[in-house]
Amino acid sequence: MLFRKSSTTPTPAEEKGPNRRNFLKGLSLAGVGTAALSGGLLADINLKAGVKAAEGEPIPVGGAVPITGWAAADGIEFQRGLEMACEDINAMGGILGRQLKPVFEDTKEQGADNIIPAIQRLIDRHKVHAIINGYNTGAVTAEYDTVADSGVIYMHHNTDIVHHDTVGKNPDRYFSIFMNDPAEYWYGKGLLKFLNGLGDTGQWKRPNNKIAIVTGSQNYSVVIANAIRDNAKEFGWDVSLYETVVVPISEWGPTLQKLRNDPPACIAVTHWVPQDLAQFCIQFKPNPTNSLVYMQYGPSLAAFREIGKENTNGVLYSTVVASLQDEIGTEFNNRYKKKFGASASPLAGAQAYDPTFMWAIASAVSGGSGGPGELDQNKKVSNVLRRMIYRGTLGTTKYFLPEQAAIPYPDATKDPSLGMPHQYLQIQDFTKEPALIAPAPYETSSFQMPPWMKA
Amino acid sequence: MLSLFKPLSQSVRPSTVRFDLSVGLPVLVLFAVIPVFTPSNYFLGQLILFFLWGTVVTQWNLVFGVGGIFSLAQMALFAFGGFVTGIMGLYLGWSLWAALPIAGIGSVLFSLLIGLACLRLRGPYVALLTLAIAQVMYLLIITDTDCFYMEGVTCRNFTGGTRGLAKYGDFGFRDILGAKWAVGHYYMGLVMLALSTVMSISIIRGPLGLAFRALRDNPAYAVSRGLDRFKYQLIVFAMSAFFTGVAGGVYAGHFKVIGANVLYLSLLLFLLAMMIVGGIGRVWGPILGAAALMIADEGLKDYVEWRNIGLGLIIALFAMLWPQGIVGAVEAGWARLRQRLHPEKIAEPGPARAPRP
Repeated sequence: MLFRKSSTTPTPAEEKGPNRRNFLKGLSLAGVGTAALSGGLLADINLKAGVKAAEGEPIPVGGAVPITGWAAADGIEFQRGLEMACEDINAMGGILGRQLKPVFEDTKEQGADNIIPAIQRLIDRHKVHAIINGYNTGAVTAEYDTVADSGVIYMHHNTDIVHHDTVGKNPDRYFSIFMNDPAEYWYGKGLLKFLNGLGDTGQWKRPNNKIAIVTGSQNYSVVIANAIRDNAKEFGWDVSLYETVVVPISEWGPTLQKLRNDPPACIAVTHWVPQDLAQFCIQFKPNPTNSLVYMQYGPSLAAFREIGKENTNGVLYSTVVASLQDEIGTEFNNRYKKKFGASASPLAGAQAYDPTFMWAIASAVSGGSGGPGELDQNKKVSNVLRRMIYRGTLGTTKYFLPEQAAIPYPDATKDPSLGMPHQYLQIQDFTKEPALIAPAPYETSSFQMPPWMKA
Repeated sequence: MLSLFKPLSQSVRPSTVRFDLSVGLPVLVLFAVIPVFTPSNYFLGQLILFFLWGTVVTQWNLVFGVGGIFSLAQMALFAFGGFVTGIMGLYLGWSLWAALPIAGIGSVLFSLLIGLACLRLRGPYVALLTLAIAQVMYLLIITDTDCFYMEGVTCRNFTGGTRGLAKYGDFGFRDILGAKWAVGHYYMGLVMLALSTVMSISIIRGPLGLAFRALRDNPAYAVSRGLDRFKYQLIVFAMSAFFTGVAGGVYAGHFKVIGANVLYLSLLLFLLAMMIVGGIGRVWGPILGAAALMIADEGLKDYVEWRNIGLGLIIALFAMLWPQGIVGAVEAGWARLRQRLHPEKIAEPGPARAPRP
């Protein structure tokens, strides 16, 4: 049962034994404020099971994350997010009294020869009951067979449309595998829909129908660039430039010249490295075109604003998975920074935090989690996850079925309570955090015309 | 004139063959029985990876350590074999078993092209050009953004682009062995490493090895006796490419994905370090180096933050203290021990020289 019983006054029997207040007191002692939303539910389930505290045999839960290599900065946040979730869950009694014990394996450069052994090691050596990751980009679902052989729950944020195809075609074999963020495909449609929305609401009038796409040479960038290119026509846009730059890049002159020769209404840069993008802004600003500038991921990092300074004001970016700036998200972000330091990035850490709660609740509802080879128990947990609608720091998580991938809002559903928000942000003052300008009802600010553009 | 097809026994001392057999056969038997005693797919998976990297460094050693060619193209040949296997499986519907020999032969042809371009150069210039070829290959793959075919709503690139090539099938062991599928890949990898080691032994202990030793020890004399450095370097370059390409194909079939990540410089340097640690130019050096570094890597997995530092220290230690690698150090130690145990044999005078006129 997923609904909390409303009870405010503990009975004498409850006062002597385990009770919800004790667990919630534990939560507040642990500093878990808004996690009580989901944590209260978990605490209630534990309470009904007669759990006094998380004292049983620990349950190993794994993270196959890039602790070294090019994605290490994010990998460390995925590690922190999982650790924090385990601590919070343990403060609520764990899963039916069993504590969670996080263990990690390094996926290094994220090749298949790194990812698959890391996952196999979590299963064989650590006997994990679940693997909860941020992203690993290099296995193209090849690791799914390793997971499926063991049947443990695997929740990741690979942002990969191949997941839809792999799981959708064989949901019985891959019953335990969930992609907890929308596929990269939605970046393409989402951006075009967002731009059209700005026009429809009169916030911006596009000077022409041209969109210029500048991509780096990494997987993430190219896939998003292709998604924009492939959907442009459907949304009334013409691709005036599709340029692949070799990264890292600091000299943007040739690309800027092409843009200035044929100014588009929007420049979409899908390369993501913050210092490279900051250089783009610095070199673009002295002689700008009348174009919106949309960039991928890099602007979410402080380094982008620190290097680009006032040249970054007005830049747009988006993410399909990040902690929100609402009550739940802000409380999580603050607590995360307090725990791990001001330079920590809760946006990435939240990716491991929310799914761990989802899995813990689903396991508690199902009577416990299942280890490697315990297919029946893991199927019970998976069935609860498939039906679950979870509201956490990332917004709402609900899955496409049978694909078991997060539904994006508003890209695929008009109901914000049924999809993970595809967030659009704008740097309006480089000395402050970016402003969340879409989608409703999560926005905290309005779109502002970039300083280099004509109103 | 040296012949490649000259029987091994004519050019190889029986004692070295006996030594290689006495080392190789017990190790082979040991590896052959391991799957009987371990149920762990992870352990088998790591050993499969060892067989793959062992094969690559064994073949690279022929080029680098024996042929004296400072080539950094070995992973480009590996990737070529892997992509040939994946492309034939995906676009032509070939069984990966049928694609494997094509991967090997294709890599040989590719290596001949590289060799013709590079082998007239010397030393660091060969390294630079071969590295450049590998990097061009990497860039060609990751900048492959054109839509080759549509898969549902997503456009797919010919090489898989930065995402990697996948969904071309596997070797079919899952259908035969079920959850024990890794055992099939294990024996496949073991046979591949065994065959590539036999080839390595026959080259190092055989006529080609003699030719390269002659070219290294006294180039002017060797050339004056008709040894053509370019020809022999090209031959060893091409021969080493076969098993390297096959290893790429086995990698592609085992992991079910092949991507540009196999061309990362970090992986290339890791493999180079295996040769350095084991002993460049020795028959058993690269395999020992692969085993040593993979064991070290495994041991350091619980100390992730220290992993790269630890591996770096091991490599630096070998470079400074044992530049001839494990095998070189063991050989030197054995020689010292023999000298201590049997000083009379070492000091034994040779046949009396004829008095000078």
